[in-house]
Amino acid sequence: MNKKSILLVDDDPDVRLSLRLPLEAAGYEVKEATNPTEGLASMKKEKPDLLILDVMMDSATAGFQFALDLKSEDPKSELKAFKDIPIIMLTAIHDTTSLRFSPDQDYLPVEVFLEKPVEPDVLLATVKKQLGE
Amino acid sequence: MVEGPLPMNSSPINGLTPQGKRSLIEEELKASVAWLIRLRWLAGVGVILTAWSVNAILKLQLFTFPIYLIGAVILVYNSIFYYIDKKIQSNPAATQEYTRLAHWQVGLDWLAMILLIHFSGGVESPAILFFVFHIIIAAIFFTPRTAYIYSLVAVLLVWLDVGLEFLGILPHYPVEGFLQEALYKNIWYVLAILLFFGATSLISAYLAISINQRLRRREEEVMELTVNLQRATERLQALNDGARAISSTLELSEVLNRLVKNTAEVMHVHACFIRLLDKTGQHLERVADFGLSQNFPDNGSIDVQNNPLIQEVLSGKIVNIPDTSQTSLLQYPATTIREGIHSMLVAPLIGKSGPLGILGVYSHNVNHFSKDDETFIAAIAAQGSTAIENALAYQAIEALDATKSQFVRMVTHELRSPVSVIKSLLRTITAGYAGGLNEQQRDILERASKRAEALQGLVDDLLDLAAGKADIKSHGEMEPIRLDDVIEQVVKRFEISAKEKEIDLIWENHISEITPMVKATQEGLDRIFNNLVSNAIKYTLPKGKVTVKLTRVGNEACVTIEDTGIGISEEAQAQLFQEFYRAPNAKEMEKEGTGLGLVIVKDLVKRFGGKIGVKSTVGVGSQFTVILPLLLQ
Repeated sequence: MNKKSILLVDDDPDVRLSLRLPLEAAGYEVKEATNPTEGLASMKKEKPDLLILDVMMDSATAGFQFALDLKSEDPKSELKAFKDIPIIMLTAIHDTTSLRFSPDQDYLPVEVFLEKPVEPDVLLATVKKQLGE
Repeated sequence: MVEGPLPMNSSPINGLTPQGKRSLIEEELKASVAWLIRLRWLAGVGVILTAWSVNAILKLQLFTFPIYLIGAVILVYNSIFYYIDKKIQSNPAATQEYTRLAHWQVGLDWLAMILLIHFSGGVESPAILFFVFHIIIAAIFFTPRTAYIYSLVAVLLVWLDVGLEFLGILPHYPVEGFLQEALYKNIWYVLAILLFFGATSLISAYLAISINQRLRRREEEVMELTVNLQRATERLQALNDGARAISSTLELSEVLNRLVKNTAEVMHVHACFIRLLDKTGQHLERVADFGLSQNFPDNGSIDVQNNPLIQEVLSGKIVNIPDTSQTSLLQYPATTIREGIHSMLVAPLIGKSGPLGILGVYSHNVNHFSKDDETFIAAIAAQGSTAIENALAYQAIEALDATKSQFVRMVTHELRSPVSVIKSLLRTITAGYAGGLNEQQRDILERASKRAEALQGLVDDLLDLAAGKADIKSHGEMEPIRLDDVIEQVVKRFEISAKEKEIDLIWENHISEITPMVKATQEGLDRIFNNLVSNAIKYTLPKGKVTVKLTRVGNEACVTIEDTGIGISEEAQAQLFQEFYRAPNAKEMEKEGTGLGLVIVKDLVKRFGGKIGVKSTVGVGSQFTVILPLLLQ
């Protein structure tokens, strides 16, 4: 059976490392990108099974915008091929700050939010669930 | 014609307004008219009774018919006066009517009196002396001049009657049996009576008028004092009200607006303004005004150096300009006069650290402001200065607090992300995702991991605190929330850790008659009880007990979290809700802790309109009580 592939989009190499190690240990194939543009290029080359997206990249909402584009309902969207890829969004934003985001199905069609720092066990459990394993 | 009965045109006494004086005399006149009407009933009846008794008891021969008739006529016209008096009583502005009524009364009384004298023997009549009473009454009623004229008329009427009877032109009606001879023909007797009557009348008039004048002057003095006193009381009251209104807010613009409005009202002027010095102290900005027209130009910032008036005021003087067309102090005399400002009074606003600005009042009238007004505006300005200074200080503190919160928030963000990355990285190793570790390495990394965790807890608490102080919205909108549900969830969350410590965790809900709803944020409420229950378990020794109880006290929900823990000393209780404070016995028991948890809890409880309190005995246990207002329909 083929390894499931996961794309990590995060500008912080340390974060990527801390996520990649447990994922690889659990047998996933992990690809990395530092921003949405790179991420999209990587996705077009090889479609991942799951996307782990950081909320704060170039700008405070770059991650959100990327997620929105990917999940667009527009049938003419050039990204419609990726519409069904589950997204785990990482938030570094503590939940009591003014930049508070919570999963909002109407606004942001992301499957699940994880708050950083992410416990490896929690990460793996969430990934498994999203991949239907 | 005689003057009106009121000395309205006498010189005004200082301080007593013409209106006040007039109303005083009007009241007096009204009372006198009523009093005279009451007396006249007696006079009418007295005339009739006297005539009857002279005939029936003294058996003197008196020509009674006309005297009865005079008595009856007196009663009739008195009835008419009585009716008129009642009718005009309801009209407060009936001064004219009262004056006319007084003249009619005295005129008719004079006529009745002379007729009575004529029909009771003329110069021989004992009733002749009664005229003196009438003269005294006239003196009470009228101005001195009018009273003298009425007295003179009385004397002349008597002289005329006596003279005409003497000459035989008028018939003589003697009282038979009263006097032995017909004295009315005795020239010496007649002359003596006329002379003495005239003298008595005029001397009586003089005495009565003098006494009355003196009384009236006194009355006016008392009235003046009363008016002054009243005004002083009013001003004090106004000053007091103003002070309360101004100091009830710390919002600068509100303070300024209330101040100008109150000042204008209290000083009975049409406009009031405040200008405050800017930061350089060189310019005065127009910050508040009241009562100025739309057309009044906003001259913007005024250069202190170009304005002699302002320089003088800022040096601490109160400047009274009695006539704006006659002064060289104004920078814009034309616009001032066009606005209808004819006199002004300007006072300095001086704070503890120096001049703050100026407060001024404008009047439409020339010479409006007295020495009293100067003292008064000085008092207002002093009061206003304090209020303005307080508001300025408050503004500065608020700005500082916002900056501080903003700063703390920014710094905390910057702190939080590296800490969380450190934690994640360490976890990947300790969890074994990066290869095996020996025992010592694992131990070291776990220690580092723990410290990172503690650091993150501190940063999270700081972030909460800063966010809470910065703005309420960061916690989401307040909404009605079921309090019992929140507490139940929190208690459930701690069931496992309580069990591990063999602590009996009990949850009691004593509110059953209503659904206990409170206005709060879900997160905030969760945070409050999470913190309190977690503390209770943390600081309770194994085999202890933690009871969470929800009760209703009136319109409030009362949540108590009681433990059988280590307790908090009284000294520590006093500092418990201060940032970074941790009780010594708590530190001893639990090394980790930021000392921010209870500060955040208190902050949240306060924002939800509630109160928090603590009771504790060292070694016995602690009881925290949170009281939140219930939403009742």
